[in-house]
Amino acid sequence: MLKMNNNNTQPLEYSTEQGRMNILGFWIFIGAEIMLFGTLFASYFTLETRTGSGPAGAEIFELPPVLAETLLLLTSSFIIGLGIHAMRLGRKKAMMTFFIITLILGAAFLGFEIYEFIHYVHEGASLQTSAFTSILLTTLGTHGLHVTFGLAWGIVILIQVIKRGLTPQTANKSFIFSLYWHFLDVVWIFIFSFIYLKGMM
Amino acid sequence: MKELFPAKHVMGFIFSLVLTGVALSVYFFDMSFFMGMTILLVTAFAQAALQLVLFMHAGESEDKNTIYTSVYYGIIIAVITVLGTMLAMIWGYV
Repeated sequence: MLKMNNNNTQPLEYSTEQGRMNILGFWIFIGAEIMLFGTLFASYFTLETRTGSGPAGAEIFELPPVLAETLLLLTSSFIIGLGIHAMRLGRKKAMMTFFIITLILGAAFLGFEIYEFIHYVHEGASLQTSAFTSILLTTLGTHGLHVTFGLAWGIVILIQVIKRGLTPQTANKSFIFSLYWHFLDVVWIFIFSFIYLKGMM
Repeated sequence: MKELFPAKHVMGFIFSLVLTGVALSVYFFDMSFFMGMTILLVTAFAQAALQLVLFMHAGESEDKNTIYTSVYYGIIIAVITVLGTMLAMIWGYV
């Protein structure tokens, strides 16, 4: 049951009780995701030096693609923020344009990440090489999987917005998707800082 | 067109680029491990706070307190997990 609280000062995505609860529920999910990535980082720091006969981080990390990935994700996070801003102004076309740019940047990010994984395997650093390479690829892969899922999710939401327009429901879904996307950027910042930069320091 | 690019968001984006630049200094300059880690910790958490408050609008709804409690809880458990693991497995205090 949808209960309208007829509060016109609130943005569309908060306009129903259900919508407000969906947003709150998603924040609780984000709290759980923070802990998930916490465990991955804990394992990474533990296994970082266990390189066996395989390469260490400093030998395989390359700054240019990593920096490109960082800038792509930072920019996409900013652009989707503009998308939500446009949505709140009721500018459907502008919002959709921003969302499409976000998804394109996300796809470019994935392209770089796939290149990176291929590069690692060529350097002899696969999932089975050492404790270090397996936790490295697991951590990066978990984030990459989230981005891949986000791309599919974003496309489906865009189709709904095209078909149904900006309703309390589609606005709510778009807003929740933007939360997810910003969160992926936050996780990447930690990967960039504590896996790559720390490894190359 | 201008209304689509609110100054607050543009400033936030520029600030996040600056934070990334500062974090990069640990790669380009020779510094101690302690100094480098301090810079990375400060820039990463500042960056996360910026996203959370500015772009994710964490404080805008009436559920603000529940939202912050949930996020802080997640962060505290994550930090305890990481530091506790380091304490037992790396630093060798247990």
